[in-house]
Amino acid sequence: MGARPIIQVENLSHTYMKGTPLEHVALKGANLYVEEGECIAIIGHTGSGKSTLIQHFNGLMRPESGKVIIDGVDLSKKKVDVKTLRQKVGLVFQNPEDQIFEKIIGDDIAYGPFKLGLPLKEVRERVKWAMSVVGLDFEQMKDRQTFALSGGQKRKVALAGILALKPKILVLDEPTAGLDPKSRNELLEKIKRLNREEKLTVIFVSHNMEEVAMLADRIYVMAGGKDVLCGTPKEIFTDKEKLQLHHIGTPETVQVLYRLTDLGYKVSVDAFSISEATEEIIKVLHGTKEDLEDVQRV
Amino acid sequence: MSSEFEISRSITIGQYVPTDSYIHRLDPRVKLLLFVVIVVAIAFNTSYIGNAIGLFLSLYLFWASKIPISYGLSGVKPAIPFIIILALLQLLFQGQLFSGGKVYVDYGFILITSESIRLVVVSAVRFIEIIFLSSVLTLSTSTTQLTHSIQSLLSPLKKINFPVHEISLITTISIRFVPTFAIEMEKMMKAQASRGADFGTGGWWRIIQRTKETFPIIIPLFNIALSRAEDLILAMESRCYTPGGNRSSYSVYKTLAKDYLVLLVGLLFAYLLIFYPFPF
Repeated sequence: MGARPIIQVENLSHTYMKGTPLEHVALKGANLYVEEGECIAIIGHTGSGKSTLIQHFNGLMRPESGKVIIDGVDLSKKKVDVKTLRQKVGLVFQNPEDQIFEKIIGDDIAYGPFKLGLPLKEVRERVKWAMSVVGLDFEQMKDRQTFALSGGQKRKVALAGILALKPKILVLDEPTAGLDPKSRNELLEKIKRLNREEKLTVIFVSHNMEEVAMLADRIYVMAGGKDVLCGTPKEIFTDKEKLQLHHIGTPETVQVLYRLTDLGYKVSVDAFSISEATEEIIKVLHGTKEDLEDVQRV
Repeated sequence: MSSEFEISRSITIGQYVPTDSYIHRLDPRVKLLLFVVIVVAIAFNTSYIGNAIGLFLSLYLFWASKIPISYGLSGVKPAIPFIIILALLQLLFQGQLFSGGKVYVDYGFILITSESIRLVVVSAVRFIEIIFLSSVLTLSTSTTQLTHSIQSLLSPLKKINFPVHEISLITTISIRFVPTFAIEMEKMMKAQASRGADFGTGGWWRIIQRTKETFPIIIPLFNIALSRAEDLILAMESRCYTPGGNRSSYSVYKTLAKDYLVLLVGLLFAYLLIFYPFPF
């Protein structure tokens, strides 16, 4: 893990509609620290300030008070080159398929690179690369009509549109919301690959704890506009008291393991990946490790 | 530092600010009727004093309904270019029609007189008054209340087969969705800015470029609007909505003595604005 901090948020606050009767505080004193190459999950209930926080990462919002430093650039300064910043930090909104506006897939993905003023050849290369990363065949798909795509495919196109900017940091707001299980797993695999192989720093917001457990190196828990908890999935999901205090759900595997401990079985609750949890449960069923091997042989 | 994308902030149509003032509690039918009558009265009045009174009234209504005046001002702000262009056109080309009073400039077809200046000033002020009044009305009356009152005020027209219910439904839906689309538009601007789009760069004279810049927002917004409309149809149909069906209402308005009093004062005010010979 690179030790360089790529995102630093200190004591960040933001109030919407300031000075009107409808004003409401979205962030009050949030902190966040992300190292290069990490995969960070941000979880928390609706209205806890997650979306507001991530919109600060690419300069859509500027810090009202507090500090946001992205890859050495201090966003509280008056003059910030937002274009370069937005190229560096790719922000994928919720339901990104809504933002597709060109008739043909290739054109839509090429929109960002063209806006960067790149030559045609380079744009083509980037579109090709982005499509291959999200798993769309370039030759076959580039001239397809965008409106005829399925929801999952549209989302891939939208993600490719951001990736074509070649960002260093990828920020996703509920990337899998509303997708069917198959597209969801595919997309998660893609995100994992981007983080592990293409070395992108990934930050994502999610309500799905299985996803969080599968992808994240570290988790930030937001509540009431603040970061209340931070740690590795193991640390977070095994801290039962804090989980209850902040009403955080856990992956189903952890729930099952907790139930088993409550019933008096000896299992370790930090085995939240499905294969680890299976092992734990089989252990309970059979008592010993040798039995487990028997089961696998059968 | 407020965000460059916070546009829903400057849209006050269709927003309801619940401060529970006595203006909020008035019978919405009385409010709507008075709104129409006073707007007509303002449109008739051509004197400086009359319009100053009208402006004062609209400001007073903001105070009385406990709604910050900044709401009214943010409604006026986007209209300023129109007001200026309108004023210039009137000043330059309408002089011949309103040629009374003292002549200030007489150069070719341009004729500026005290009467044409009055026209320019009064119509600008009138415009602002009407924006203020309609802002107060929509900010202090929920859309449901507005529909019910439109429907009940227009109900005599049912006798001549005028589609009263349909009209009021269409009006409510369109007003209701203004803030929704403002929020959608904000989101879309942010999403496209995240992929490198920029808005409002380049001078205003580069019309083609600036029009092109709006495509990435307009096209998705159209899509969203259509799919929202489809959702709405489904939601209404699954609740057995039938056009033209006879339906009763959950909230029944009672016009109280104070409502009649306000109505009387308002009508008197409108009468004076139209018929009183203001000296200036």
